[in-house]
This record gives sequence, structure tokens and C-alpha cells, in this order.
Amino acid sequence: MSRFALPSGHNVARPRLSYLASPMQGTVIAAALGAAIALPFFVGEFWVHVANEILILGLFAMSFNLIYGYMGQISFGHAAFFGVGAYTTAIIIRAPLAETGQIGWGIFLAAILAAPIVSALVAAIVGWFCVRLTGIYFAILTLSFGELLYYIVFQWYSFTGGDDGIQGLRPPAVLMATEGYYYFSLILVAVAAMVVWTITRSPFGYVLRAMRDNQRRAAFLGINVRVHQWANFVIAGAFAGFAGALWGPFGRSVAPGLLGWQKSGEAVFAALIGGANYLLGPMLGAGVFTFLHAFVTKYTEYWPLTIGVVILLLVLFLPGGILSLVPKAWWTRRGASADVPERTKEPVPKS
Amino acid sequence: MTENILTVRGLDKRFGGIHVTQAIDFDLRKGEQSAIIGPNGAGKSTFFNLLTGYHRPDRGKILFDGVDITSWPPHRIVKAGISRAFQVSNIFGRMTVHENVRAAVHAHAGVTFRLFAPAARFGGDEVAEALDRCGLAGQADTVAGDLSQGDKKKLELAIALAGRPRLLFLDEPTAGMSIQETEDTMQLVDRLNRELEISVLFTEHDMGVVFNHAQRISLLHRGSFLVAGTPDEIRQNELVKRVYLGEGI
Amino acid sequence: MEFGFDFVFPQLMAGISRGMLLFLVAAGLSLIFGVMNILNFAHATFWLLGGYIAYSAFTAFGPPSGANPLLVIPATAVAVAALMLLGFGLERVLIRRMYGREVPEQLLLTFALVLIIGDLIKLVWGVEDRSVFLGLPPAVIFGAFINIYYLVIIAVGLAVLAGLYWFLQRTRFGRIVRAAVHSREMVEALGIRIATIYMVVFGLGVGLAALAGGVVLPLTPLALGADIDLIVQCFAVVVVGGFGSVIGTFVAAILIGVTYSFAIFLWPDGALAIIFLFVIAVLVVRPWGLFGTELRT
Repeated sequence: MSRFALPSGHNVARPRLSYLASPMQGTVIAAALGAAIALPFFVGEFWVHVANEILILGLFAMSFNLIYGYMGQISFGHAAFFGVGAYTTAIIIRAPLAETGQIGWGIFLAAILAAPIVSALVAAIVGWFCVRLTGIYFAILTLSFGELLYYIVFQWYSFTGGDDGIQGLRPPAVLMATEGYYYFSLILVAVAAMVVWTITRSPFGYVLRAMRDNQRRAAFLGINVRVHQWANFVIAGAFAGFAGALWGPFGRSVAPGLLGWQKSGEAVFAALIGGANYLLGPMLGAGVFTFLHAFVTKYTEYWPLTIGVVILLLVLFLPGGILSLVPKAWWTRRGASADVPERTKEPVPKS
Repeated sequence: MTENILTVRGLDKRFGGIHVTQAIDFDLRKGEQSAIIGPNGAGKSTFFNLLTGYHRPDRGKILFDGVDITSWPPHRIVKAGISRAFQVSNIFGRMTVHENVRAAVHAHAGVTFRLFAPAARFGGDEVAEALDRCGLAGQADTVAGDLSQGDKKKLELAIALAGRPRLLFLDEPTAGMSIQETEDTMQLVDRLNRELEISVLFTEHDMGVVFNHAQRISLLHRGSFLVAGTPDEIRQNELVKRVYLGEGI
Repeated sequence: MEFGFDFVFPQLMAGISRGMLLFLVAAGLSLIFGVMNILNFAHATFWLLGGYIAYSAFTAFGPPSGANPLLVIPATAVAVAALMLLGFGLERVLIRRMYGREVPEQLLLTFALVLIIGDLIKLVWGVEDRSVFLGLPPAVIFGAFINIYYLVIIAVGLAVLAGLYWFLQRTRFGRIVRAAVHSREMVEALGIRIATIYMVVFGLGVGLAALAGGVVLPLTPLALGADIDLIVQCFAVVVVGGFGSVIGTFVAAILIGVTYSFAIFLWPDGALAIIFLFVIAVLVVRPWGLFGTELRT
């Protein structure tokens, strides 16, 4: 069997490698994971909280990137599935919390796991229509569905609490501590990221890339384009829902804004900043985005201006994202040997 | 009676009131290697698009090995055993040559819904074989978008072969190739036809290629077939000379 | 609530004038997409910026309340001129770099402009709503009281419709623009620099948005974030009408304007939801719009 190492001489304006064979990745991931585990021992509670936020946003952005970086379509309504997941968990744990002020582990975990299922179901309905379109039509249709779901949640006071949202979402006692919830998130996000990684290097993952590069030709391979795109839309929705499930108990509340286009925009930005062609690009981007947000808003109220300029410069001068700055050769420094996709260091904010 | 691999009856397609193909009847026998010639705009590409499901015919019937495939979607037609290589190379530009062919192998093997197993686990031998056949083994790791025009056409062929077709449509298979590459490619097509018993239907501008490599030639003109016959018959035919050869090659 | 003529007719007039506003903004959006194949997320933000500039011009000429109503005309002219210049400049410096890039990146660039310009407006004009008050007496039509300014907006909308139609159908430049919708190569074969066409179309489209911003100034207060509400409605208009079709854009704009103006009475917080439902229905059933002929992706 042929060994496929680093693709060479790929010199179009924006290199988009389907993957890099990377012996460095094991080292990088181990180091990143180690740093993530060690983080609470070195920094204060505030930064652990920020890191937790990054993990959740990062997983959400990775799920978005299944549609954007891998399938080549841009969704402006992806937050709908994040929000549906968050509300699913919130609504399930709301009742026992109201009765006793406590939540048991069993029902808590069940509530977390129910979220991706409900999100996947909603994504199945929405995606059924969206995958019939491409390009700006896909973008506008996803935006419309997302906003429609936002309005439904916003209006349905009896079930969702309307624009008040749902408050007092306390996780089990162990997770009430910032560090406790951080490690809980780290484990679940790491597992989810592993599953996403597995999917992207599967035959299905390569079908996604093929449809990204040339949808019409993919059909002439015998691939049912719509069905594969639909499946991917559902998978991406499920992971977004999983990330959303972690959000409510983390922030102790959910609000309709979690479904809105601004939230979808965060996933888009994270993928763009970190690098949409890399598995962990969105995670890195989420780190930079969240860190930047925390930093900039300390000094100025003009956050949209700041992020707007960042996006503008990235699109113009660094469309491959931060990770495209890493020389391709670096990933194979110790000789190509593994068939693995692009990966990179997990972002860890320093205090 | 020789069996047909492809039978077309009364195929009509109009775009905005203009007949692009008009009541086309066409037969391709099993194992045959046949060419379609005709001036630009004769409807060759539309004919292929109709046969492979990219366009839906307004009227008529397409039988593939006795099965009615009229108006099937492309992916179903490909699954049934028809492959197509495109005139303008139509590959997956950001994937490597190996990944391009592997995706086709996976589609054919029906493993595209395997979500949790590495892609590298499936179809390595088939990919290597297709690349070998098409002379691309040395470029397995090249990103497809970086290939030369001639190599892109070879990759087109490798992708088409990966689907293990029983019937192969080649739209201008040697366009953009050097004389040597053209000869190599057509000899490969001949071998595929002989050894793997793949029925082949191709279009080609180069009359030398057509007369040397087709067992049967059909002339398409303004959306219908005017003449069909062996290369010798076609060479002698006055109508062909008037309609096609007269235009200057 | 009584749904008699006294309610329906003024509401209808409000809806039609809202439709005219949508048309003025969406026409440029549709034209830019048709010719340049770029979806300009920032189009309504240009509208809002035009409105603020018109406001500043208006208050430079006279007081915000009770000034001569005709001052709207020079104020609007200033806004249109400023935004057209901005449009030309942006096309040269930014948009031009995006031709041939992928759709998601084009969307992101214009989306970045939404954030940047939106915040710059906040920086210059602050967070309070801005409005001018003309104090025009209401007109009585068929026994119902109608804001006379609705009629002005409707007249402007119709004039722009006629002007655009004339420009595209009757002038040489317009015919070239229409040709550019179908084939870039053909235009270049005619010896016309496509770059010039693109710059003019973009400037013109942005200018139309500014015109809408100036004209609507006496009717609705300017508020930060109003561009976001408007851009999704403009997307709705061009999707429903079909990209690149002036008539389609016009009909869809009136349709959506009227729908919105009634919906907001029946379900104040959900009016936009109804618009989204409308868009979804059209995209699902007829993705190329009611008046478009083909699906461009």
C-alpha cells in the first residue's frame, strides 16, 4: 500500500491540505492535554473559567467546521443546534432542581446525553431542506432556520421561559467548583474531539472533502451527495448539541441568544481564526477569540470593531488561519510514518 | 443475437425550445469500443449528460444491460456499473491523487458510511492497481490540483476505473495530452476493453485516434445520429465527409 | 382590534412604503450579486451609514425638528455622494481582492464590514437614536389619515424602479451590465474593462442604499443594529424575488413589506419569524425565487 506523506509543492494561493501526515502530532497533543490538565494548578479561578468556556466554544466550532472546513458549506444557523442542546439539558434538570435544589448524577448525565440526540433530530429536519442548496442559498437557508428556532424559543414562555431563559441550573455538588466543572468538561470535550477526529479520517470524512472540492464529480463516483451531506449535517448538529449541553450548567443559565446568529458567528470566527483546514483549528480559534474578547473588553467597548478588523485582516492575508503559519515540514520532522489528519496544540490561556 | 450493453430509444432533450438531442436511437454492444464523432455543438456532451443522469431527458428510454435507467440520478447510474471521465478534468483538487482514487473505490465498495474506521483501511490494493494502470503510481501523494493537464486526464481515467465499471464513457480522453501520452492512454483504453471486457464509448476530436481505436463510429450532427458503421464504412461515407470532415481537421 | 378599512388602509400604505424601502436597499444587493456574484452582507449597514450621514447633513442645514421639509433632498444627496465614493473605494481596495475566492470567505469579508462600520457609527454618532421631525400634516385619503411622507417614499421607490429599468434596458452601459450578469467573458470580448463595470455597479448599489437611508430619515429613527434587521429582510426579498431580477426584487419587496407591516400588528415579536418562514418556504420549493430563472450557486 502506498504511503502518503506530506503533499508537496501545493502552491495555490490558499493551501488547503486535506490532511498532514504528522508524527509530531502525538507529542503536541500529549503536551497540550498535559498542559490542560495542569492548568488549574498554575492559574487562578478566573482563567480556569475562561479555559472552560474555550473548551465548550471550541467543541461547538469543531462541529461547525464539519460543515465548513470539511464539507465546504457555510452555515449561519449552526448555533440553533447548540442552543437546542443547551435548552434540552436545562429543561430536563429544571424540574428536579426546582423540587430539591439538588441534582443527582444519574439524571444529570442523562440530561447531558439527551442534548445531542434532540439536537440531531432537529438538525435532521432542518438539514433535510438545507442540503438541497449550496453556497449563499445554503447560508441564507441555515440563517433563516436558525432565526426561526430562535424566535420559537424566545416566544414559548411556558416551555422555554421566553426571553428570560432558564436560571439556577446547578450541576451536581462536585461540579459546583470551577475546577470540578473544568475537568468534567475537559474529559467530555476530549472524548468528543476524538470522535470527531475519527470521523474526519474515515471514508465518510474523505467523502466530505470530495464533496467540498467538487460536488458534481462526487455524484459521478456513485456517491449520493444529498444523503451524505444530510448525515454530516445531523452529526454536526449532534456535536453542537453536546457542546450546548455543557454550557447551561457551566453558566448556570440558558437564554435564547444561544440560538441566535451572533452565536453562530462565534463558531465561524473561531474556525477562521484557528484554521478551518485543521481538525483543532477551531479549538485554537475559540481560544484566541475568547481570550481576545476577555482582554479587549477590559479596555474598550468597541469589541465588534476589533473582531471585525481581525476577521477582515485574516480573510485578506491569512485565510488559512493561524495554523497555516506553521510550516508544513514541521509536522513531519521525524519522518512521515502515520496516516493522521492535521492536528495542533490545544489552546491554553496563560495567566 | 448480440446483446446490447446500452440501448437508447427516442431520446429527446430540449433547452429553452431548442432541441439538443432529437429522437436519438443508439446501440452499444457488449464488449464493444465505440466512438461518437461530430462537430462542436453536435450534442455529444449533452448525450453523455443524459446517459449519466446529469440531465433528465424530455422523452425516450435508456436501457443499461436491459435495465431501464432513464431519469435515474447520477450516483445510482454509477452504482449500476457506468463510469464517466470528463472532458474538462473534474477532479478533487485539494486531495492527493491517492485520496481521489480512494474516494472512488470507497464509493464503489459502499463503505462511505463507515464513520469510525480509518479510510486507509479500505481499498488500498484497488487504488494501487488503478494508479498503476494509469501510470500515476509515482504521483500518489501529489495534490491533484497541482498535476499537469495530461496527468489530470489520467487521474480522470483512474477515478472512472476505480468504480469497476462495465461501461465507460470517455469525453475527449486525450485532450491536452502530448502525442506520446495520447498513444499511451489509448492503448490503455484498448487494454481495458480487451482484458477487463469493459465496453467503451468515447468522443474524440483527433480523427487518427478515432479510426485507430474504435470498432464502430457514429456521427452525431445537430442532435441526431446520421451515420454509424465500422471505421472503413465511415471513411467511405460521403455524408460524413460533407458534414464533418469537410470542416477541416 | 377592528380590522375595518380604517385600520387596513393606513397599514397597507405603511407596508407599501416599507416595501419601497426594502426595494431600494435590496435592488443594489441583487444587482451586485447578479453582476459580481458577491453577496454583500454589509449592504444594509451602508444604508444605516447613509442615514446617519444624511442626519448630520440635515442638522447642519437646519434644526432636527421643524426645519424646511425640502432639506431632506440636499441631505440625502450628501449621503448618496458620500456612500458612492465609499463604495467605489471599498470595491477598489477590498472587494476586488475577493473575486474568485470562495463564497464563505466573501461572506466573511462583508460580514466583517458590518461589524466595523456598525461600531464606527457608534463611535461617531453615539448610542442614542437619531431622528428628524418634519411636522407634515397627515393626508386624508378615502377618509383615512395617512402619513403624507408615505407617499413621498412610494414616489421615490417608483422613480428608482423606472430609472433602474431605463438604465438597464435603454442605456449602453446598462446593457453591458446586464450582459455581465450572464457572461464575464462576453463583456471583456466587447473590449470593456470588467473592473470598471464592477466598481460602478458596487458604487451604484451602495448609493441606492444611501438614498434609502436619506429618504427614510423623517419616518423612522436611526438606531444601532437596525441594519441587521434590515439585511435579513433584504435577503428575504432577493431570495423571494430571484437574484438579479429588478422586477422580481420590486414585487418581492412590496410583498414582504406589506406582510411585515401587518404581521407586526398581529404578533409584534414574531414578525421577523414570519418573514423567515416565508424565505424557507420559497427556498425549499423554488430556490431560484419567484421571478428568477435559474439557480446560481
